[in-house]
Amino acid sequence: MNNFKEEAIVLKKVSVSIMSILLIFSLLGSVSFAQAPSQLPRTETLYIAGMQWGPPTTFNPMAPSPAWPNNRGQDPLIYETLFAYNLLTNKLDPLIGESYSWKVYQLTVKLRKGAKWQDGTPLTAKDVVYTFELGKKFSLAHSPVWDFITDIKAKDDLTVVMTLNKDRPHKKRLETYLGQIIIVPQHIWSKYDSSQKTLQEYTNTEPVGSGPYKLAAFSPEQIVLQRDDNYWGIPYYGKPAPKYIVHPIFKSNDAGNLALERGEVDLSQQFCPEIWKMWEDKKLPVGTWYKKEPYHIPASIPSLYINLHKKPLNNPLVRRALAYAINYEKIAETAMSKYSPPAKSSLIIPVGVPEQKYFNQEDVDKYGWKYDPKKAVEILEKQLKAKKGSDGIYVLPDGTRLGPFTAECPYGWTDWMTSLEVVAESARAVGIDVRTQYPDAPVWTDHRNTGNFDLLMNTPAGGYTPAHPWLRFYEVMEGRGVAPIGQVAYWNFGRYSNKKVSSLLDSAAKIEDEKKLATIYRELDRIFMQDIPLIPLEYRPGWFYEYNETYWTGFPNEDNPVAPPMWAWGGIRKYYVIKPKK
Amino acid sequence: MKDIFILLFRSKRFIVGFVLFLAVLSFAIIGPMLNPKNPFQMVGGLFTPPSDKFILGTDNLGRDVFTQLMYGTRTSLLIGCTAGVIATSIGVTIGSIAGYKGGIVEEILMGITNVFITIPSIVVLILLSIAIKTRSAAVMGLVIGVTSWPWTARAVRAQTASLKTREHIDIARITGFSSIEMIVLEILPYMFSYIFMAFILQFSGGILNEATLSMLGLGPYQTVSLGVMLHWSLLWEAVRTGAWWAFIPPVICLSMTTFSLMSMNSSMDEVFNPRLRRS
Repeated sequence: MNNFKEEAIVLKKVSVSIMSILLIFSLLGSVSFAQAPSQLPRTETLYIAGMQWGPPTTFNPMAPSPAWPNNRGQDPLIYETLFAYNLLTNKLDPLIGESYSWKVYQLTVKLRKGAKWQDGTPLTAKDVVYTFELGKKFSLAHSPVWDFITDIKAKDDLTVVMTLNKDRPHKKRLETYLGQIIIVPQHIWSKYDSSQKTLQEYTNTEPVGSGPYKLAAFSPEQIVLQRDDNYWGIPYYGKPAPKYIVHPIFKSNDAGNLALERGEVDLSQQFCPEIWKMWEDKKLPVGTWYKKEPYHIPASIPSLYINLHKKPLNNPLVRRALAYAINYEKIAETAMSKYSPPAKSSLIIPVGVPEQKYFNQEDVDKYGWKYDPKKAVEILEKQLKAKKGSDGIYVLPDGTRLGPFTAECPYGWTDWMTSLEVVAESARAVGIDVRTQYPDAPVWTDHRNTGNFDLLMNTPAGGYTPAHPWLRFYEVMEGRGVAPIGQVAYWNFGRYSNKKVSSLLDSAAKIEDEKKLATIYRELDRIFMQDIPLIPLEYRPGWFYEYNETYWTGFPNEDNPVAPPMWAWGGIRKYYVIKPKK
Repeated sequence: MKDIFILLFRSKRFIVGFVLFLAVLSFAIIGPMLNPKNPFQMVGGLFTPPSDKFILGTDNLGRDVFTQLMYGTRTSLLIGCTAGVIATSIGVTIGSIAGYKGGIVEEILMGITNVFITIPSIVVLILLSIAIKTRSAAVMGLVIGVTSWPWTARAVRAQTASLKTREHIDIARITGFSSIEMIVLEILPYMFSYIFMAFILQFSGGILNEATLSMLGLGPYQTVSLGVMLHWSLLWEAVRTGAWWAFIPPVICLSMTTFSLMSMNSSMDEVFNPRLRRS
C-alpha cells in the first residue's frame, strides 16, 4: 500500500515537472517568436520610450486607442496631419498642407504638390475631405471638428475649402484641428467605412500612410519603424536621420528610465525623477530642454477640481482657505521633481509657452492666492467664523465640519499622487481634513465625468494647442452644454456656471485684436480667481523630453532650438536634426 | 512553565531573537513617545540625504525617514499582530473542532480548509484589498488574517486528532463535558506551546504580507507602514537615483522583525518538541 502511495507521489512529481518544463519552453518559444528584427544597426537606430504602454493591439488611427505612432497627439511618422503645430513659434508648420488662408468665414487650405501615399497613390484634397467627413458620418476622435465647420469641399486636387460654423466662429479652434486630424487614404479606408464598428475594428497592421516611416515590425515588447526612402516630402523637408526608430515597450517608468540612463534608449518622454543627477553626479551625456530648472517647458496646469455643489465646498471662502493652505513650492519640488515653477493662482501659464504674454502678476497679487497658512486660518476664523474642533479640524457655525474631503487621482500616476499627498498634508496642517484616494483610472474617469467627487486632480485642456489659453478657460468655466452632477460631462467637471464668463468666451473666440483679447483674458482670469472653480497645483510639461547622446547627437534644446521638444505634430522635426555619433 | 523559560533562555538563538524583537518593539512603541513628530509632515526636500537634521534623510515627499520608520514599524507590527491573532483564532477553532468531532464535520471543515489552501492566498489578498474601500491598518490586519489561517487549521486538526485518543480525554468525556468544554479545557491547554508558535509564525507572515500588498500599492490608507515606505521609494525610483536611505532602513527593519520572530519560533520548536531538543 505504502509503495503504491510513494509511486503515485513520484509519478505526480514527474508529471508536474514535465508540465512545468513544457510550460516554460512554450513561454520562451512565444517570446522568441514575438521578437521583432533583433539586430538593427545601433548607429542607424533611434530608441525611444514613453509613448506606448502595453502591447500594441491596433494601428488604426480611427480606433479609440491606437498604438504609437498612430494615435492623435503623437509624432506624425506614419500618418500625417495637414499642418504641424510648433510650440516654440505658436504656428502651424507645413506638412501635407502648404499654407492656409481665411476669407471671412471661409478657410482655404493649399496642399503640397507631389504628396503621395506610401503605396504610390497621389494624396489629394479628396483624401482630406474624405477623412473630415468620416468624422461627420461616425463618432470619432475628430468628430468635434464638425462643431466648428458646416462643410468641406475639394476645390481641386490641391485645394480644400472649409466653411466656419457661424454659431461657433472660433478660428483658432478650427486651426487646432488642422494640426491634429490624421489624414487617411480614401482608396484604402473606403473598404472599411460601411459602419462605425468595421471602421474602428480594422486593426490596420500594415498601415499605408503618407509619412516618412513605415511600420516594420511589432510585438508586445516593441514597435519598429523603418524609414521610407521614397517619402514624398524629402524635397521639402529632407530625410529624417534614423533609418529605424524602435519603441521598446517598458512595463514601468523605472525600467524605461534605467534604459535611458544606460544609453539603451536615446530619447524618452517618461517622467524621470531627479534627472539632473544623471549629468551632475553620474556625468552621463544626458540632457533635457533647459539645462537648469524647470528642465522642461511647462505646457499644462494639472489642477485640483472642486465639487462646487457639495457643502461646504460650495462656499467660495472655504475654497479660498483651501487655496491658501496648499504648499505649492512643495508640490513643485517633490511631486514635479523641480520640473515646474510653483503654481500661481491663474489659469494662464506664466512661463515658457506663447500664452505667457497674457499673464498678469498684478491681478494675481490682488485677487489671487499663494501658500500662506496664516491667511487660510484667518479666512476660516474671521470670515467664516469657524471653530477648531478637538481633532484640529474646523467646524463652520452651522455645524458643518471641514472634511473629510476625499482627494483622488488614478493609482500609479506618481507625480499626481505626490501632489495630492502634499495637498492633504498642507490642508490638515491648517485644519481642513483632506484624505487621499487612488482608484484605478477608469473609476477616476467615471467620478470625474459624473461629478461624483469632493476634490479630484485633472488637467484642464491638456495638450497644448494654438487655441490656448482660451480652451483652458472654456474647459474650466464654460457652463453651457455641461450635464448636471450625476450625468456625464466632458469638461467643467466641478459644474461651474456663470453667464458673464460664457459671453466673454464667445467674444474672445471672435476677436483677433491682441489688445482686446488680453483685456478679455484678464477679465476671465479675475473672475476665476474670485470664484475659484479649481485650484492650479503645478505646471506640467506638455511632454517630457530627455535625451542620451551616447549614440546620437544634435538633439534640440534651449541653446539649439531647431525643433520643439514635442512628441506630437511639430515634434517630428527632431528626427531630422539629430546625427549619429561618430 | 518555569522550566520552559529556563530551557528557552538556554537557547542562544532564542535570546538573539528575543533581544532583537524587544529592540524593534521598543523602537516602534517607545520611539514615537520620545520623538513625537508627525510622520507625515513634509520637513525637507525630495530625497534629502542623511544629515544632522535628518538622521536617515527624507523620502520623496520630503518626510523624515527616521520618524516614518518608527511609526511605520509600529503600523507593521500592529497589522502583523492583528493578522496573527485572527489567523490563529480561526485556524485553531476550525482545526480543533474538525479534529475533535471527526466524521462529517471534519470532512466539511477540512474540505473548506483545503479549498482555501489551493487558492493562492496572495490572489485572495489582492482581490480583497481592491474590493475594500477603507483600508485602515486594522482592516489590513483583518484581510491578511482571514486569508492565512488554513495551514494552522490543518496542523491543529492533526494535533487534536492525536490528543483526543488520550486517556484523560476519555475520563473527561465520562464526566459529561460538552464538546466545547472538552476542546477548551482538555485539549487546547496541551497544544498551548504549538498555538503560540503558530501565532508567531502568522505574526511574521502578516508583516511580510502587509509589505507585499503595500509594495503593490494596496497598502493601508492615511498611514505609514514599512511596506508603504518601500512602495513610495519604488514608485519614485529611489534605487536608480541612489536614495538608499529611502529603502534600506525599512528593509532592515522588516528583516530584523521577521528574523527575530522566526528565530524565536524555531528555538521554541526545539524546546517544545523533545525530538528536536539538543542535549
